[in-house]
Amino acid sequence: MSLEAFATSRPLTMGVELELQIVNRHDYDLMPGSKDLLRVMEGVALPGDVTPEITDSMIELCTNVCDSYDQVLEQLTITRDALVRSADKLNLGLSGGGTHPYQHWSKQRIFDKPRFQEISGLYGYLSKQFTVFGQHVHIGCEGPDQALRLLHGLSRYIPHLIALSASSPYVQGNDTGFHSARLNSVFAFPLSGRAPFVLTWDDFLIYFEKMTRTGVVRSMKDFYWDIRPKPEYGTIEVRVLDTPLTIEKASALAALIQCLARWISHDRPFELAEDDYLPYTFNRFQACRFGLDGTFVDPKSGEHRSLREDLNVTLHALEPHAVALRAEPALRYIREEMRWQGNDATWARGVFEKEQLLNELVRQQCERWAGRPI
Amino acid sequence: MNDLANFLQFTTWPPRADWLFWASLILVAAGLLGELVNRRLGLPRVVGYSVVGMLLAATGHGIYSNGALDARLRLVVDLALALLLFEMGSRVNLRWLRNNKALLWASAAEATASFVAVGFGLTLLGVDPLISISCAVLTMAASGAVIGRVGAELQSAGQVSERMVAMTALNTIYGVLAHKLLMGWLQLEQKGDWLEAVAQPLYAFIGSVIVATLLARLIAWLMRKLDLRNENSVLMLLGLVLVALSVARVLNLSTLLVPLMAGMVLRNTTERPWVWPRHFGTAGGVLVLLLFVAVGSAWTLQALAAGAVLALALLLLRLLAKALALVGLARVSGIDARQGVALAVCLSPISGSTLVLFSEVQARHPDIALQLAPVILSTIALMELAGPIAVQWGLRLAGEQQPHAAPNREAKR
Repeated sequence: MSLEAFATSRPLTMGVELELQIVNRHDYDLMPGSKDLLRVMEGVALPGDVTPEITDSMIELCTNVCDSYDQVLEQLTITRDALVRSADKLNLGLSGGGTHPYQHWSKQRIFDKPRFQEISGLYGYLSKQFTVFGQHVHIGCEGPDQALRLLHGLSRYIPHLIALSASSPYVQGNDTGFHSARLNSVFAFPLSGRAPFVLTWDDFLIYFEKMTRTGVVRSMKDFYWDIRPKPEYGTIEVRVLDTPLTIEKASALAALIQCLARWISHDRPFELAEDDYLPYTFNRFQACRFGLDGTFVDPKSGEHRSLREDLNVTLHALEPHAVALRAEPALRYIREEMRWQGNDATWARGVFEKEQLLNELVRQQCERWAGRPI
Repeated sequence: MNDLANFLQFTTWPPRADWLFWASLILVAAGLLGELVNRRLGLPRVVGYSVVGMLLAATGHGIYSNGALDARLRLVVDLALALLLFEMGSRVNLRWLRNNKALLWASAAEATASFVAVGFGLTLLGVDPLISISCAVLTMAASGAVIGRVGAELQSAGQVSERMVAMTALNTIYGVLAHKLLMGWLQLEQKGDWLEAVAQPLYAFIGSVIVATLLARLIAWLMRKLDLRNENSVLMLLGLVLVALSVARVLNLSTLLVPLMAGMVLRNTTERPWVWPRHFGTAGGVLVLLLFVAVGSAWTLQALAAGAVLALALLLLRLLAKALALVGLARVSGIDARQGVALAVCLSPISGSTLVLFSEVQARHPDIALQLAPVILSTIALMELAGPIAVQWGLRLAGEQQPHAAPNREAKR
């Protein structure tokens, strides 16, 4: 099986996908409701789309191709409001967050669709444990080679993005001690992690051919990489973010990635090298475990500093690009978030400390997602 | 021998088993049979409990064996129903009804349709109109006990499961109100006293709401300071519900309405989720088991011989009416036709609530109760076995039964 051609797309456009939790309004546990929700949503005009996900307590929404932060926020607002209205009609709650704090993976049901059944057959319980919720951000690229360069350039900031978006401290009723426990579930998949260090599409095709020859891979969908090229859209897809608890945060994170992409492709602030991946898993782990207070090892200098410090320096460098992309409010939002609580995982821990009830935490998450006061 | 018995200080000789022995034996038998029907036939356990009750009735030990309802068993029924109704009420979110008005219409439609179908249908079949209407009133409420228990056992989740809880709660309220009106009407026919006929139902309704609200407030206040997942707190909660129930009994309020409304008030006056173990843990579980045995034994051979055909007609009319209403309003309320049918099937069981309402007619108007008994008792008897199976089937039709809720079937694959 050969890989399809890399489609053309406008550079630096973005598309956002958000996976959401569907919960009941009694004890706020996950509840199968995607089919009903999709039926009620039929005929509602949306700027993007709403589709089922692997288990029927999940739903995914996405935007169309957007140019700016404002546009992403506007589209997400329209879709969010329509979804919340439909969910209210069915007495369902919708929530962001990378994991559901106390759902039992064994109770999840695989959505009835051939691909999902196939995944379930192959990965067994892992596919049910994969009841985790992420935000994916697509960035349009000039061409395939530029896409690969951008992919490896953005890899340096994967830990920063993990730390900012982390919203999954609780799993199966317990505090994991992690800010993002969701990524531990993704890591269980054999083809997860980083993409191979190839910088031209021709080399990537050779790699893909070799992988298909082993019979391990049939399409790009079989790779669960942190960032992967998406040839049919002409984009690269950043997949490490936990679904934030609000659409405002989701939009701000998408805009941050857009700014990073512009900076990396225009200014080429650092040379790409395979060796930059040496501290990659360490940095990634630090971000998942400690959030913005995690240690960041600079791949070039080997210096140790906190992710927060490195992010502050980066945000400064991004300023002109934010102006060019009309994304200043997004960067302001991120700065504010870093000053206030860091990420949604810290917020969640604060709520739990006060309420001592995870069910109440999920209720408050639903209210935040709906944009209602708590 | 007598000397030996004296020496060993036996209380009676020859030794005779007392009520505790029999009650415990029933508990064990029901538990075993419940497990058996679950493992071998894949049916809900309550079917087994009901079978034990039916055997008791068949051998002349049912709760109507002496004609009137046995006071001790009535107590068991009241206690267990109180727990189940309180639990059910605590799941009814009134905001949902505000957000989805079609749901309220669907509820009103299914209740009205089944009332009209039963009242009119039985009259057409030659039953006296007063008796037909009484039957329609008594069978208005779906069985909170059956849906509560079967839903919990199958760990069902989805729109049909949610709606069957909300609609059962609502039609239990309609049923209790209609019953109070019926009692007022019967009072008027017999004594011609308008004031009493109006004041009685009004008192019972308002009084029940007040006691329910007080209970809900007390629970909310107390439980904010305690953790409901802790065994000790759950026992206290159980105690509070039972105290409210005994207050209701003493003040002649509705033993169905007080716990149900208390649950609803608790749910809807506080945003915080209320989570406690199903049926309040083991103590509640024992009561629920005994409830199914007791209601299962609420028939006599004579009643069944006299009323089975009419009872069957009643059940079919009722199911048909509910199905028409719920399928008709399915789409606009946000479900599909298949879920509408499943919901109607899930609302078809009749059990404890009807028995309680019937026993109140019996206490006040024995002559009417005598005429009602064959149909009502047969209806309860037929549905005691068919009801849990219907709910299971309905949930399966809707695809809301947990796949792993039938472990043995899963393992064979």
